[in-house]
Amino acid sequence: MATLPKKESRAPTTCLGLDTNYGDGLERERSRKPDHKRPEHYGVGDPTTTFSSDSSHLSSRGRISKWFWDSAEEGYRTYHMDEYDEDKNPNGIINLGTSENKLCFDLLSSRLSQSDMLQVKPSLLQYPDWRGHLFLRKEVARFLSFYCRSPAPLKPENVVVLNGCASLFSALATVLCEVGEAFLIPAPYYGAITQHVYLYGNVRLVYVYLDSEVTGLDTRPFQLTVEKLEVALQGANAEGVKVKGLILINPQNPLGDIYSPGELRQYLEFAKRHELHVVVDEVYMLSVFEESLGYRSVLSLERLPDPQRTHVMWATSKDFGMSGLRFGTLYTENRDVATAVASLCRYHGLSGLVQHQVAQLLQDRDWINQVYLPENHARLKAAHTYVSGELRALGIPFLSRGAGFFIWVDLRKYLPKATFEEERLLWRRFLDNKVLLSFGKAFECKEPGWFRLVFSDKAHRLRLGMQRIRKVLTGTLRVAEDPPSSRTQEPRGQHI
Amino acid sequence: MSGNRDPRSGQPPKAKTKCQNVSHQSDTHHRPHPRVMKLIQRLRKIINEYILQLESRHQQEDLEQEEQQHSQNIRDQEAILVHLMCEVVNLLHSGASSSLELRLPRLSLDSRGGAGGGQQAQSSREPDQLSHQLSDSETAFISCDLSNRGIDLSALYKSNLQDFIAYQGDKYHEDKNTSGFINLGLSENKLCIDLLTERLSRSDMNYIDDDLLQYPDWRGHAFLREEVARFLTYYCKAPDLLVPENVVVLNSSLSVFLTLTMVLCDPDDAFLIPTPFYSGLTLTARLYSKVELIHVHLQRKITEADTQPFQLIVDKLEKALLEAKFKGKKVRGLVLFNPNNSLGDIDSLDSLKEYLEFAKRHNLHVIIDETSMLSEFRESIPFHSVLNMKSLPDPNRTHVIWGTSKSFGISGFRFGTLYTHNKEVVSAVGAFGFLHGISGITQHKLCRLLQDREWIDNVYLPTNRSRMQEAHRYITNKLKTMKVPFVSHGSGLYIWVNLKEYLDPCTFEEEQLLYRRFLDNKLLLAPGKAYMCKEPGWFRLTFSDKPLRLKVAMQRFSEALTDKKQNWIEKQVEDALVESVSSPSSSSSSSSSSSSSSSSSSSSSSFVNLDSSHF
Repeated sequence: MATLPKKESRAPTTCLGLDTNYGDGLERERSRKPDHKRPEHYGVGDPTTTFSSDSSHLSSRGRISKWFWDSAEEGYRTYHMDEYDEDKNPNGIINLGTSENKLCFDLLSSRLSQSDMLQVKPSLLQYPDWRGHLFLRKEVARFLSFYCRSPAPLKPENVVVLNGCASLFSALATVLCEVGEAFLIPAPYYGAITQHVYLYGNVRLVYVYLDSEVTGLDTRPFQLTVEKLEVALQGANAEGVKVKGLILINPQNPLGDIYSPGELRQYLEFAKRHELHVVVDEVYMLSVFEESLGYRSVLSLERLPDPQRTHVMWATSKDFGMSGLRFGTLYTENRDVATAVASLCRYHGLSGLVQHQVAQLLQDRDWINQVYLPENHARLKAAHTYVSGELRALGIPFLSRGAGFFIWVDLRKYLPKATFEEERLLWRRFLDNKVLLSFGKAFECKEPGWFRLVFSDKAHRLRLGMQRIRKVLTGTLRVAEDPPSSRTQEPRGQHI
Repeated sequence: MSGNRDPRSGQPPKAKTKCQNVSHQSDTHHRPHPRVMKLIQRLRKIINEYILQLESRHQQEDLEQEEQQHSQNIRDQEAILVHLMCEVVNLLHSGASSSLELRLPRLSLDSRGGAGGGQQAQSSREPDQLSHQLSDSETAFISCDLSNRGIDLSALYKSNLQDFIAYQGDKYHEDKNTSGFINLGLSENKLCIDLLTERLSRSDMNYIDDDLLQYPDWRGHAFLREEVARFLTYYCKAPDLLVPENVVVLNSSLSVFLTLTMVLCDPDDAFLIPTPFYSGLTLTARLYSKVELIHVHLQRKITEADTQPFQLIVDKLEKALLEAKFKGKKVRGLVLFNPNNSLGDIDSLDSLKEYLEFAKRHNLHVIIDETSMLSEFRESIPFHSVLNMKSLPDPNRTHVIWGTSKSFGISGFRFGTLYTHNKEVVSAVGAFGFLHGISGITQHKLCRLLQDREWIDNVYLPTNRSRMQEAHRYITNKLKTMKVPFVSHGSGLYIWVNLKEYLDPCTFEEEQLLYRRFLDNKLLLAPGKAYMCKEPGWFRLTFSDKPLRLKVAMQRFSEALTDKKQNWIEKQVEDALVESVSSPSSSSSSSSSSSSSSSSSSSSSSFVNLDSSHF
C-alpha cells in the first residue's frame, strides 16, 4: 500500500517519469530505493512519451493530437451521445464534470436577443485588425479597469482579443518559450492547459505538487508557497528543463480557492527574482460568490513587481457562462508580447459580429451590476449550498471556499487501494450510473481519490446527479483493508 | 524519457547562481542595466544566427538566387551586429557600467542555460528569406523576454503587417477620407457586402439557445457539419452524398491548412507547392507549424508543354520531388489551389486527376484548397471540385479545404472547413478544434446562410457574378489601355499584373521599391515576391472592389507608374551621358535563377503572346 507523501524532506527528487505513471503506486515504490522514500514535490510533464496513438497517416505530433482527441472520447463524448434531457432522455448522463455555468442562460439569451446585439455592419464582415476590433479592445480595457479595480485606467493597446483562453495559452507558450521549455504550474490545475501549451508550442509543464495535508506553516490544504515554487524550479533546472514562466489560476481551478493579495505578491516577487514570466488566468474573477473572500485581481495591485513579465487573461466563458461564445482576452504591458500574440491571431480570430456582441455586453454596466451579477451569484450560492449539504450528509470531506463552479471532493476513502487505476474505476462507476465527474488525475493531483464536482447546474439536474452519486458511493463503501487514518481525515476547517 | 534527461542531470543547478546575484536594490537603482542586458542577449542571438548562416552556406543549393539571398542575410546580420555593438558601447559610456561586473559573469553562466530546448529550437530556425524579411533595424530591439519564435512573430507584426495596420487606420472613404488607402492587395471580395449585410440582418439569423452558448463539439456543431456536407455535395457536384462525419469546421481556411500541416507533418517535413501561391501559407508553415514548403517554380514562358502560362505539369512535380528526396527531405504531400488563389486559374478535371495520381504513386497527401470556388465569373471555364470525381485515386490522403471568406466575401466571419475521408485526420484536427473554435452564434448564422439555396442561387451568385464581370472588365480595359501585360483566367478575385518593364534593374529590390511607390500613392498591391514568384515584377491586383474605389485606385496606379517611367527615362539619359561601361544585363541576370534567365532574353516577345491570348 502506497503511503501518502509526507513532508519530512524538501529535497528535490530526481526520480523521473513519476508524473506520467498511471500505474500502480506499489510498483512505483518498489522501483525506488526502499530506504529513500522521497516525497514528490514536483514533476515534469512530457507529452511526447506519454501520449501517442497508432496511425499510419499521421505525423508523430499528429498522433499525439489524436491521442488527446481519443482520450476525451470516453467521458465527454459518451456524455454527448447520451445527454440527459428531462423529457426526452431522463435516463441520460448528467454532466457534473465540465466546468460550465448553466444557471443563467435565461438572462443571457434575453440580453443577447436585444436589438443592439443584432447589428450587422460591413466592416464587421471584413478582415479585422488582428488584435481585435478597436471598439472591442477599448471596451475590454474599460471593463477590466472597472471590475479588476485597477489603480489606473487600463489601455486598449495592451489588449489582444482571441477566440478563447485555450488559444491564448497556446499563443503565449509559443511566443515566450522555445520548444521543450517549460512553465511552472501548481497542481492540481485545470488539466487542459497541458494540451493548450503543447499542441503548437511544444512547451511542457513542471508541476508544483500541492498537498492535501496541512503541515509546516501552511494554513490550508493544497496551499501554494514560495518555498514549493523554489523547490520545483530548482528540481526542473537540475533536470535540465529550462523554466520560462509560472502559470497561476486565480480563482483556482479545481480547488475553488483564491490567492490573497499578499500571497499573489509573493509569487510575483519569486517570479521576478528568477526572471520568470507570470501568466495569471483570471477567468473566474467574477464568479466569486462569497464576497467575504475579498478576491483581488492581479491588475488591482498598486505596483506590479515585474509588469513587463506579467500577463493576465480573462474570458466570457466562465464569468458570463458562455463557453460557446469563444471570446478570450490578454492584458499585458509588454508590447512585444502583445504584437507577437497578435500575429498569431489570424489563426485564433473570432467573428466580427461576435466582437460586436461582446462589446455591447461588456458595455452594459447597468445590466451586469443590477441584473446579471447579483442573480448569478445568488444562483451559484444556492446551488453550492445544496450540493455541499448533500456531501456533508454523506460524510464526504471536500474543499470549496466560495469561488468558481466546483467543489473539490475527497473520495479517497472509497478507493480500495490508493491508486489512480482505482480512481479511474470509481469514475467509470459514476459514468455507468449516468453521472459524469472529473477525476483528480486529470488535474495532475498527486493523491488518487480526489474528484471535481461542478455544481453550477439547474436544481433538478443537481438533485438527480447527487442521487446517482449517493447510489454509487453507498454501494462502494465496503472500504478496503485498514485504511490509513489520514485518509478519512477531513481537511481542516474547509467545509462551508 | 529518463534516458533523455540523464546526460543533463549532471549539470550543476543554475538557479542558485541566479539567485545570488540578484538583489532588489540593484534592480531599482540602475535603470539602464536591463537595457544593456537585453542588448547583449540580443547580440548573442544574432551572433548565433550569424554563425549558423555561415555554416549553412555549403548546404544551400547552388541556385544563384538563393545564394544572393543568403549573402544578403549575412550582410543584414553583420549590419545589426555592428549596430548593436555600438549601442552597447554607447550605453556603457553613458554611465550604465557601475555594477556591470557583477552581472556580466552571470550572463556568461546563464548563456548556456537554454542548453536543451533553446539550442535545438535555434538550430531549427530557418536561416533564410524570413529572417531576411524580419531583420530590419526595428527587429533588433525586440525585447528578449520573447522566445526566438516570439521575436520572429513580433517582428512580423511590426514589419509585414505594418502596411495592413496603416490601411486599417486610414481606409479610403468616398466622403470622409478621400486620401485614405485603397487596398487592392488584400484578397477580399467587397462587391456584395450590401447583399450579405442584408441577408445576415434577417430575423432567422438572430437565434439563441442554450446549446449555442455552451462548449460545442470541437469539430463544429452537428447541425453545421450536416449543412456543410449538404452544401458541398450540391455545389461541388459530388457523385455521392458527402457525410458530416468527414467535416471539421474551424475559424478560417488558413487554420484548416495550419492544422493539417500539424497533423500530417513533423517539424522540418515538407510539402510541395506550386508557385506563385498565397503568401499566408509561407508564414504559417514557417512560424507556426515549422513545415517546409518546397516551391515548384512554374515558368512564365510558353513552351510546347505549357499551353498556359504558369501551368502546372506533373513532370515538374516529379522533378521537384526527386530533387527534394535527393537532398534528404521528407516530403509528406502536395498543396494545390483550385481555383488558384493568386492566378485565378482553374484546373481541368483531367489535370486534377493527374496530380492526384502523381501523389498516389508517391504516397503523398494532397491538401487541396478550394476556397475560391463559386467565385468563377466566366461560365465558359467550368470549375471542377475534386469532390466531383467519381472516385478519388487515394481518398485517405486527399483533404479538401473550403471557406466563406472568398466565396461569400465575409472574411470577418472566420469560417473554414475541412472535408476528408480519413478518420484519423478528422480526430487529430478535431483536437485542434478548441484552439480554432467558432462561436456557436456564428455557427448558427453560417448554417442559415448555407441553407438558403434560393437566396444563394437566385440572388447572391448571379449578382456577384455580374458585378465581378463588370469590375474585371473595367480593370482589364484600363490595363490594356496602359499596355500593361497581365494574366487572368476568369476565376478568383485577382488579376496577375506584370510590371517587369517598370523595374530597372529587374530585381526584387526594385519590385519592393515599386510596391513602396504604390503605397506612397495610397494604393496597396500584393508584390509577387510575397507569393514566392520566381520572377521579379509581378503584382497581384484584387479587382473585386466597388467601382468608385477601383476608379480612384487605377488613377493612383497609373500615376505611380508614370512617375516611375519618368524617373526611369531621366536615369537612362543620365546613364547615357555618364557613358558608364557597366552592362545592364549583368544586374538583371543576377536576380533571376539560371533556368529562367535563359528564357528572359526572349521574354519580351512572349509577353506579346501572353497579352493577346488573355485580353
